[in-house]
Amino acid sequence: MKKQSIIKNIVVLILFFFSTTIYAGGPWPQLKNKGYIKISEWWIISNQHYTDNGRIDPNVTSGLFNTSIYAEYGFTDKLTGVVYFPFLSRAYFNNTVSGTTEEIIIPGEAINSLGDTDISINYKILGGPIALSASITIGIPLGNDSGGSMGNLQTGDGEFNQLLQLNAGTGFKIGETNAYASAYAGYNNRTEGFSDEIRYGVEAGVTLFDNRLTAIARLYGIKSTNNGIEGQRENSTSIFANNSEHLTFGPEIAYNIRENWGVSAGFGTALSGKLIYAATSYNVGVFFKI
Amino acid sequence: MKNTIFYLLLSTLIVSCIGDDIIDDMVDEQLRITMMPEVIAQGETFQFAARYTNNVGLIEEGRVVWGSSDESLLTINQDGLATALQQGSVMVSAMVTLEGKEPLLELIPITIGGTGSTVISEEVSSARVGTIQTTTFYKLEGDFTLEENDGKLLLSISENYETTSALPGLYVYLTNNPNTNNGAFEIGPVDVFKGAHVYEIDGVGLNDFDYILYYCKPFSVKVGDGKIN
Repeated sequence: MKKQSIIKNIVVLILFFFSTTIYAGGPWPQLKNKGYIKISEWWIISNQHYTDNGRIDPNVTSGLFNTSIYAEYGFTDKLTGVVYFPFLSRAYFNNTVSGTTEEIIIPGEAINSLGDTDISINYKILGGPIALSASITIGIPLGNDSGGSMGNLQTGDGEFNQLLQLNAGTGFKIGETNAYASAYAGYNNRTEGFSDEIRYGVEAGVTLFDNRLTAIARLYGIKSTNNGIEGQRENSTSIFANNSEHLTFGPEIAYNIRENWGVSAGFGTALSGKLIYAATSYNVGVFFKI
Repeated sequence: MKNTIFYLLLSTLIVSCIGDDIIDDMVDEQLRITMMPEVIAQGETFQFAARYTNNVGLIEEGRVVWGSSDESLLTINQDGLATALQQGSVMVSAMVTLEGKEPLLELIPITIGGTGSTVISEEVSSARVGTIQTTTFYKLEGDFTLEENDGKLLLSISENYETTSALPGLYVYLTNNPNTNNGAFEIGPVDVFKGAHVYEIDGVGLNDFDYILYYCKPFSVKVGDGKIN
């Protein structure tokens, strides 16, 4: 009986852990009629990027900001619907100024729009000590893929993609501390000349301070299949370039202020990459359990 | 929840303001005589031409001061129009004064010959060559030739040229400042990534620019250049 109780507690905590992530996934879907909403801000500002051979070169300082709502809802104990909706996405780049004449050579620009939105269904295949789920995500290109006077500002990639993903995980205890580990792998079928992608990640989390504080460490990445059309997306930069790849370390903490709401903060820093910003991204959010 | 959204939106607008990226775009001022004779026939006139580019590589008109070492043999006005008066040898000078620096000075030896002896320097009509080199970690290399043909300027990229197709928005320019595309002449987007190819260029003279520049527009960054020798 005691062992069953421990497992139940771990599963409840795991549901909380995965609910604090920005993206859909995790092998533990919501229970029926249970849900979760997170309002968050994610941003990255970068004056350098990874080249096609993984080295780092400079670029004009550019930024991307997403203010989003992320929501999960359990239609059944096995089937959870997930929506990630960036209702304000802002992209900008700085003025380029002559160090000699102090005149603006290339004026900076900014755009504001909706961002690309993800809708997912996550289905529980296995419960118990080893949990397994499968999810399908469709990416709806609500963002702007060619903003600004040169068409090089993006809040989206302009393509409709479909991501099939398998998620596996297990809960356990480290001494008296509840912990979990999970992994996922998926294939992202992209359109409009973009190369497809293999997405993968592992993460582990523990709860501390009477289960109020959750500490999560993530390692996740994207590998391009390089099967897109060469030179198709000539103005795509930032995080929207074709054939982008990265391996990112992303720790996050979440603090439960009350039983039904809390706050979270994290960052992600790329350990390696190709054709993507070489900078740290940050996120802060407020989450509510329903 | 409304307050949360409000504060997140507010923080976005505050943090995401457009700032300034300052680039080092200083180059040496240059003065070049672009039209000159070796010999002027006595009694004839010749229109000299010179190009001055400032410390950011932009052409400034009206800065060149023309002079003659012996006005009894040749006179020249401040538009560069010379009149050969008597046979002999003379030096024509083109000068630009610079604030806080030594002036730029070009001296051209001119022979004033008999009737019908005017000869324009061959140097101004020869082809120019150079080598493209990367200034980043993107692959970019190859030789090129710039020459005039039937009133058009041809930029011929050699067989040994190669660059990456991965870089978004790569463009090629002619410029006098390889540090920036400001004031540069845009030839067009790069759509050949390996091997020989030719760009036909209208409205540009063979000696108007001293560099070709490869520049990534979306990233606003120079990728490589080549001195036009």
